[in-house]
Amino acid sequence: MSDGMNRRRFLKVLGVAGGGTAALSGCSTDRVEKLVPYLVPPQDQVPGVATWYASTCGECEAGCGLHVRVREGRAVKVEGNPDHPVNRGKLCSRGQASLQGLYNPDRVRGPMARTADGWEAISWDDAIARVVSELGSVDPSRVWFLSGSETGSFGRMIDAWLAAAGANPRVVYEPFAYEALRHANRTIFGIDAIPHFDFANAHVVVSFGTDFLETWLSPVQHARDFADGHAFHEGRMGKFIHVEPRMSMTGMNADEWVAPIPGTEALIALAMTNAIVDGQLATVPSDISRVRGLIDAHTPDAVADRCGVDAETIRRLAREFAAEASLAVAGGVAAQHSQAHITAQAVNLLNYVAGNIGRTVRFDADQARGASRYQEVARLASAMGSGQVGVLFTHAANPVFASPAASGFTDAYQQVGFKVSFARFMDETAALSDLILPDHDPLEQWNDVEPRTGHHALQQPVMRPVFDTRQTGDVLIRVAQQMGGGMASVTQAATFKDHLQGEWRTLQQRLGDRRDFTAFWNASLQAGGVWADAPAQQVRLATGASSFTDVPVWNAATGENFTLIAFPSLAIHDGRGANRPWLQELPDPVSKITWGTWVEMHPETAAEHEIHDGDILEVTTPNGTVSAPAFLYPGVRPDTIAMPLGQGHTSFGRYAEGTGANVYSLLSGEIAGFGGLSFYATATVVKTRGHQMLATNAGRSRQMGRGIAQAVLLGELTGEVEHEEEHADHAAPVPEHIEEVLDAWQESQYEEMEQGDYAADNPRWAMAIDLSRCTGCSACVTACHSENNIPIVGPELMRRGREMSWIRIERYFEGGEHGEPLETRVLPMTCQQCTNAPCEPVCPVYAAYHTPDGLNGQIYNRCVGTRYCGNNCPYKVRYFNWFDFAKEGEPFHAFPEPLNWQLNPDITVRTKGVMEKCTFCVQRIRAKQDQAVLADRELEDGEIMTACQQTCPSHAIVFGDLNDPTSRVSQLSQEERGYHVLEGLNTRPAITYLKKVRNVAEA
Amino acid sequence: MATAAPPQPTTRPTYADVTRDVFATLGNPTKTWYILFGFVLSVLAVGVIALLYQVRMGLGVAGYTPPVMWGAYIATFVFWVGIAHSGTLISAILYLFRSAWRTSVYRTAEAMTVFAVLTAGLFPLIHVGRIWYAYWLFPYPNQRMLWVNFKSPLVFDVFAVSTYLTVSTLFLIVGLIPDIAAIREKATGWRKKLYTITALGWRGTDQQWRHYTRAYLYMAALATPLVLSVHSVVSWDFAVSIVPGWHATIFAPYFVAGAIYSGVAMVITLIVPLRKAFKMERYIRVEHFENLSKLLLLTGMIVAYAYVIEYFIAWYSGNPFERASFWNRAFGDYWWATWTMITCNMFLPFFLFFQKIRRSIPALFVLSLFVNLGMWFERFVIIVVSLSFEYEPYAMGHYTPSWVEFAILAGSFAWFFMWFLLFAKNFPTVSITEVKEIIPLPRKKDAHA
Repeated sequence: MSDGMNRRRFLKVLGVAGGGTAALSGCSTDRVEKLVPYLVPPQDQVPGVATWYASTCGECEAGCGLHVRVREGRAVKVEGNPDHPVNRGKLCSRGQASLQGLYNPDRVRGPMARTADGWEAISWDDAIARVVSELGSVDPSRVWFLSGSETGSFGRMIDAWLAAAGANPRVVYEPFAYEALRHANRTIFGIDAIPHFDFANAHVVVSFGTDFLETWLSPVQHARDFADGHAFHEGRMGKFIHVEPRMSMTGMNADEWVAPIPGTEALIALAMTNAIVDGQLATVPSDISRVRGLIDAHTPDAVADRCGVDAETIRRLAREFAAEASLAVAGGVAAQHSQAHITAQAVNLLNYVAGNIGRTVRFDADQARGASRYQEVARLASAMGSGQVGVLFTHAANPVFASPAASGFTDAYQQVGFKVSFARFMDETAALSDLILPDHDPLEQWNDVEPRTGHHALQQPVMRPVFDTRQTGDVLIRVAQQMGGGMASVTQAATFKDHLQGEWRTLQQRLGDRRDFTAFWNASLQAGGVWADAPAQQVRLATGASSFTDVPVWNAATGENFTLIAFPSLAIHDGRGANRPWLQELPDPVSKITWGTWVEMHPETAAEHEIHDGDILEVTTPNGTVSAPAFLYPGVRPDTIAMPLGQGHTSFGRYAEGTGANVYSLLSGEIAGFGGLSFYATATVVKTRGHQMLATNAGRSRQMGRGIAQAVLLGELTGEVEHEEEHADHAAPVPEHIEEVLDAWQESQYEEMEQGDYAADNPRWAMAIDLSRCTGCSACVTACHSENNIPIVGPELMRRGREMSWIRIERYFEGGEHGEPLETRVLPMTCQQCTNAPCEPVCPVYAAYHTPDGLNGQIYNRCVGTRYCGNNCPYKVRYFNWFDFAKEGEPFHAFPEPLNWQLNPDITVRTKGVMEKCTFCVQRIRAKQDQAVLADRELEDGEIMTACQQTCPSHAIVFGDLNDPTSRVSQLSQEERGYHVLEGLNTRPAITYLKKVRNVAEA
Repeated sequence: MATAAPPQPTTRPTYADVTRDVFATLGNPTKTWYILFGFVLSVLAVGVIALLYQVRMGLGVAGYTPPVMWGAYIATFVFWVGIAHSGTLISAILYLFRSAWRTSVYRTAEAMTVFAVLTAGLFPLIHVGRIWYAYWLFPYPNQRMLWVNFKSPLVFDVFAVSTYLTVSTLFLIVGLIPDIAAIREKATGWRKKLYTITALGWRGTDQQWRHYTRAYLYMAALATPLVLSVHSVVSWDFAVSIVPGWHATIFAPYFVAGAIYSGVAMVITLIVPLRKAFKMERYIRVEHFENLSKLLLLTGMIVAYAYVIEYFIAWYSGNPFERASFWNRAFGDYWWATWTMITCNMFLPFFLFFQKIRRSIPALFVLSLFVNLGMWFERFVIIVVSLSFEYEPYAMGHYTPSWVEFAILAGSFAWFFMWFLLFAKNFPTVSITEVKEIIPLPRKKDAHA
């Protein structure tokens, strides 16, 4: 002050300081937010209350019904439609992840045209005008349309549109089509259809390589039916035998895995047929005489050497197969070699002699009616290559990526004069196009699908379009109107929705429904569709069946060569899931690897070549070379290697590009005998010097005798085999005097709980997980991500074990060494909500605490991040936020706009530095409790469903109140098979696992 | 522990010698000191930058790999708390035992204690996910009606470490008072001001001496139980958990012995160069080193015993998880860490049975460095290796520290040495008062000298 601080200067300083403070405090919020009152509130929107819309899943051909939860105009969760006959309320991972298609940040955001220097955004009017002018200037015979599988009105409209334009018929492309099955059904039964396979009523299931629980036909439906038919229930269970050179996830669920020489499944099926016919094991239809010669030639002894399975095993399988209601299926991976139709034909005969046709194989309901034909695509490719294609429309197909590089599609595509793509994403095909007219997401559009004859399901928009996209149906109508002439007659409707309603008027008449159309339409929309049964159909052997005389098998690799099996990934499928981060981060149910491609190799083979997990291998076939890390898997034959398809995109958005390698480039583009693609190849493997840590969530794959995932033999439960306790060492009987001390201690520990909030009239939330139903499909994992705002962490953090997924499907191997049969066990591990939780007492700030209803609460706001709870949790189900996953601009930001629109508003997103874990979906518990209180009633058992339970296709998870002795969870917890993981630690978990039951003679 | 006073030096220092020699260590630093100090500050800066980076980005920049939720930070925390222990042992417990040899080394040890606790105390903060809320671990009255969980050993820790810091700081300051007063008389400039304040008006009257000696005795008595309790509490961070490899009743004595062991080693590491730089050979003599190394040998043998017993109990308990955990320690992925620890802490101290080694200052210096290294690895093995191999086979993992952790570890050493260098240049590192006390009373003819 002495150095001349006067009044004027003092005020100046004060002013600057004050202004600074004001400016600083102004920085506390990023932007000014305004509260806008609802002057005229929308009728169907109550803030904070969700609206549910019924629709149909557009992720695959199965056509599962959806209920979409919409909050404040945004879809935040999809669940299965309980009234839908296909999925009965359940969904798979891909269905759950359909929201990430809707909100994908890499969607094409509006119509675009290619210019000399990249893409230019144009208006819709301009875009349609360009299509019209191009169409008008080429000869109609030079116009082609390539689409994905469409089973409803939209497909029919394209066909009509093309016909009116005088263009070529529509070409459908799905890499995993069912041509072989269709071909076999034509040959053997004279029916060009895909039957419905009734797993629920089959007591013995033999699958010839069919991955029916993963991607084949209708996996959600199969999973439910399979669990109903196979799982242990009241002393009985089915038997499932899986015949495949590689044990897929479906194979992991088998009681017995038979690994034949690749490509020889047909021989086994025929030998089983032979054993049944020969041994009079079933009432064999007389018309079998048409193929008698073929069957007689293939005795078990005759084929044993050729297929690598001994004759006695084949005869035993035949006996078991014929003894009870059974089902044999062929298709999927093992049937995707060049002789796949032969396998399917042999399996048809097997089903026929066992009397399964019409019983568990029902031709009255044709599935996947729009199945594609690869040979048509090849024809299109050759037309393109020779410059005969003027205009090509592509809708929902990505052949540039998802076809063998050897087929030459990519080069041919570039010869097309004008390439119009209706792609939603900038995929490889769209990237080479001239014009992109982005379609709506299935959740934004009107459509219908017919997943099987008689089942008509509706798709409706559940929210306003996220981007400036247009439904392709509407675009086609606009083009037709502007073209005029004959094309104007394609439809009278002004929009595709009107067109769809017109179709449904016809459908209503056909069904004989006499209601007013509006009533019929609204009722159908609300229910998700209309369901009618198709008339039963008598199926006999076709006369053409006698042409089935000779059984060529796929030439398995010999010597230094391997048989390469390229299989569709459960989550990524043929590649279309690769841009969904939830699916990328979903550990593959078999390898448990995320974000990439790998090579499955038998440990013995690997040892011979000194290959270890993660060593980069160069796999070479006559068609190409691909590098990928090795994964040593005892579930693949030593002479076989397997690789998943779908990765290695060069253009499909930030999550897909640069992830993994494209295995399509290893495949041959030749058309197989049945008109489709072959996914088998002969390959050589070279170990490179590279090494890559696998981005997996698996620590160790062996249980070390700790009894984490337990199993019991069926015979032990029925008393036929002496009960042998699976000795988890720690579960050794506790001496009585110790038991007394423990009890006394527990009582003292929980004395306080008997008082106040902790009184016994509170519920005790608990879960029962039936391991004999759990297939490992991991749908629960994705559902949990969606419900609980769990961030994805990406490959780099996955390698460091920092996954955030609250559910971990643990996959353990038993046996599989030294000639023992391999058994795989899966166990969904999530927070056990222990009564006596080790995580709680060690938290210094009570962030981990016990709620009155028995949950291990975790208060994110209170958490300081000491992570002691994580150390002290024996189940390792606590996940720490190592970074700010939810904050924009951070390196591991998981929700780039508009992916963040999906976030569940009932749940907070967590900041860096706090611990999180499964809450038993406490928000759902509280919501239902509140509803019950408002309605002044008691909660019913089963009313509260956790997200994982809600979506579980095989009904493995049951949730409820343990303090209610009548609840299902109470009853299941008392079952003989019930056990707790690491019971010896006295944590008293709320999750009771029911042991897996194995229907085999001996362990 | 009571040892005889060291043999009289051949040229016995006089009171005046003591004051002169110790005062000579103070004052304007040399160029070497500045270079050293500059180096320490730059390493510290790297550590601080790494810490700021970690706070900004999140703990993910450290090497944590679940299930290893604690890593190098907690290992370093325990390491520094351990270092702190020998200081109080030498200054308080040996004081109570009237071990006269402690007089020339205790000041250094005591300063080391304070600075080590100061360093250790940072690590729980560095380690938590939300450092800005770390104060929630203190039970303070607040409007949100929130309280800490006294069942959690982490809350015990807060009290143990803060108590230890308070008591050891007070103990150091009280012990310094007469010395500061002594150098106050000779100092000039700002140092004079500093010493005048910190001498707290000491004039060396009989009454002051009477109060002072009583106070010092009581403080020693107060500090003594802390030597045992603080590291026991730290050990409970581990022992009360259910982690195999942590859940053991031997942990408290085992940790205390290990702490003193590492602390004595650190005292040797510090005193050897200090003695040389400050030309203190007359006061800190080979006999002092021999006594320190006997202490090192004793605690080293206790530690070795604890290692053996740990393995024995793991086997004898019959608990498969314990057995597997210890098998994994010795022969699993981290075998190198375990064997580094066993070699440094268990085998190398056997050399101390030879008097030649005990009396060889270079040998002791090298040995002390190995013990320091071994003791850091002991904590690493206990924490990281146990956590990487718990109950769930599917959730076992492998942790390697990242550059951030190494930078912060280096920064912590810099932080420690920064304080030590400042202290050594401004306060007497050898106690003037107490050294004078053990010099026999001057004879008449010497009095003229």
